[in-house]
Amino acid sequence: MKDTYFGNWLTDVWGVFCRELKTIFSDGGFLIIFFVAGFGYPLLYNLIYRNGVLEDTPIAIVDEADCQASRRYIREVDATRELSVARKCATMNEAIDLLKDRSVNGIMYFPSDFGDDLAAGRTAKLSIYADMSSFLYYKNLLMGSEFVMLDEINRVQVEKAVCYEENLPYNRTFSYSIFLISAILMLIIQQVMFYGSSMIAGTAREEHRSFATLPGNLSGYGIGRVAIGRGAVYWLLFLGVGIYITTIVPAICGFPQRGSFWDILILLAFFVTDCVFFCFTWSSFITRRETVFVLLLFMSPICIFLTGFSWPDCAIPRFWKMISYIFPSTFGCKAFINLNTAGGSLNTIQPLLVAMAIQTMVYYVLSCISLYIENKAVQRKV
Amino acid sequence: MRKLYVVIRRELAIWRKRPVYIAGSVLVMAFCTLFYLTFLGKGVPDDVPIGIVDMDNSTLTRNFVRQLDATQLGKVIRYPDFAMAREDMQKGVITSVCVLPEGMYADVQAHRKPCFTFYVNTLYFLGGSLAYKDILTMINLTSGAIQKEEMMMKGIDEQSIIGQLRPIDIDVHMPGNPTMNYGGYLSNMMLPGVLEMIIVILIIYSFGTELKYGTSVHLLEKTGNDIVTAIGGKMALYTLLFTFLAFSLEFILYGWMKFPLQGSVGWMLLNAFLLVISSEAVGLFIIGCVPVLRFAISIGALYSVMAFSMSGFTLPVEAMPAGIQGLAAIFPLRHYYHIYVQCGMFGTGFAGCWKEIVHLLLFCFIPLAVMLRLHKAYLYQNYPKK
Repeated sequence: MKDTYFGNWLTDVWGVFCRELKTIFSDGGFLIIFFVAGFGYPLLYNLIYRNGVLEDTPIAIVDEADCQASRRYIREVDATRELSVARKCATMNEAIDLLKDRSVNGIMYFPSDFGDDLAAGRTAKLSIYADMSSFLYYKNLLMGSEFVMLDEINRVQVEKAVCYEENLPYNRTFSYSIFLISAILMLIIQQVMFYGSSMIAGTAREEHRSFATLPGNLSGYGIGRVAIGRGAVYWLLFLGVGIYITTIVPAICGFPQRGSFWDILILLAFFVTDCVFFCFTWSSFITRRETVFVLLLFMSPICIFLTGFSWPDCAIPRFWKMISYIFPSTFGCKAFINLNTAGGSLNTIQPLLVAMAIQTMVYYVLSCISLYIENKAVQRKV
Repeated sequence: MRKLYVVIRRELAIWRKRPVYIAGSVLVMAFCTLFYLTFLGKGVPDDVPIGIVDMDNSTLTRNFVRQLDATQLGKVIRYPDFAMAREDMQKGVITSVCVLPEGMYADVQAHRKPCFTFYVNTLYFLGGSLAYKDILTMINLTSGAIQKEEMMMKGIDEQSIIGQLRPIDIDVHMPGNPTMNYGGYLSNMMLPGVLEMIIVILIIYSFGTELKYGTSVHLLEKTGNDIVTAIGGKMALYTLLFTFLAFSLEFILYGWMKFPLQGSVGWMLLNAFLLVISSEAVGLFIIGCVPVLRFAISIGALYSVMAFSMSGFTLPVEAMPAGIQGLAAIFPLRHYYHIYVQCGMFGTGFAGCWKEIVHLLLFCFIPLAVMLRLHKAYLYQNYPKK
């Protein structure tokens, strides 16, 4: 066994694996990122976005009509989940001042002919003014006032010709947290691994002990051994983090878990493998430990946009669509949303798994090439 | 004064030698500006794919589908059965499915009130809500058109028909963003957030590398062991660089892109400048507390990534748990956002934003707390090296 090719291979991989593991756990900077970002942030983000729904947005009312219909409207608006009547103002100026003070986030104005129009069978108009500093204020004001309007219309109107039934199956309340957290969880895995492994790679290069210098007994062979040996360390660590993030964190935070555990594990295996070689490839450009933060920290929010879950796919310009294929998160985040939060099956995410598999192969080859080049460069120097 | 000049020249020499400083600030900012302004360039997404399962295939339903397809927001994709459409919705290919039941036209003719059913995948928040809005509008219009036709046949005059069909109308005003431009809304805060991130990280990096490579002693020699001049000189140069970036950003947003702005752009420039100096102060504070580059920069990264969420421009801070709400105050971006809302959106000027200005100015005093520590670290390099 000892002298066979496979035996050697195994010994070498094991050697590289142990060395890398030792390096990682003696590196404080990596450990901060690993524990705080990998374990703390998923919980923190869940905490921040725990009440994903904004309720009872305070609004000011200016009721110049002061009739039965307007008073009923105001009562009903106050009763909606979205809005609460915080102030009643005599004039519009007073209400605008409140809006500027930010003591209210919207104004509802009933003109003096509101009741008369309604009684005479003309269209009665009311105006709303939304605080546009967050679109959720606007959404609440619009939805709250429209729900009441539809209800009021039913009192007056002749019977509708058609009716409708709406279903929001995966996120019934339009919850901001369910939407955002689903994607952020997967992104955290990728980013923590990327910054962590780049720091390790940068340190190694700074101290002129590049890991690309193959162990002496390999005598030039075994680029694959180094890649796989090092990769195994990250793979195991981040598979652990991944299981924590995708199954334990949602359970702690009461987040929907509709996918089966084994499906998620398969997704994680694809995603984490992809991330490992993605990180190896790109970290070969990092020559000093800290530069990865100086140069690439801004990529985290950009990756969120590139996944296409917040800004719809159809509106993403072609060029950026191409760029998005560089990142495992583009496929991983979507796969997790579809699998876990929308309750799909492996069949649903199959194209995404295939994409990740292709990415893995490409990045594996690229990381081996970069190891080869670096090794040659280091040898020449020596 | 002469010493200050010496420090500045020394710093410039460092920039020349290591391009990472300029790359990490100017290039990163340029790239991000380009990204956010082109990525969100459309302002409002259009042609959001909507799945249709038309089981009636009558003139009424075909007309509905055509009309829905013709709206600016929607683009119709037809499916033969619901199962396929549902699968595609789960995949996120479409964000909504609208089912037109069999016998719909006949039901309308016979006054049996048929029912549209639609499903929206709200995990794709924006795409989902836009599709939701589009489908709902089209259903109401269809219903109205049928009713109008009926009433006209009964001989009711146009005026009364409209009064009956639409008894109440809501007039929506959106001061500060009248065109509902999502692109502007997001880039207005994402880009200053990126700027804050760059500043915190680069300040930590700049002061930390002096320690890491032991050049801090050399720096202190130049100033005659005067830490205030040493920091002042470096800071002066960085303030200049970042203020240039911040002002360029404001001009791009409000001058070139013409995102709506109430009141004078001067307030936004002041705002940007305050963001620059307060973020610098935070960076200096972090490296002062933990004068080890490898730790400090990790902490800085963790801190500045949080700022995007905590500024509260997407999910308002008051919707966060009470314990978290107070934390928002430690991010300069949160105060920048407040000043932007007050001065840029509501045009309240100084009266509306003075508290936030004071807040941001207070940030500038926190580095004083760590000055002594930083001085000692610079002089003796007495911190854990490994």
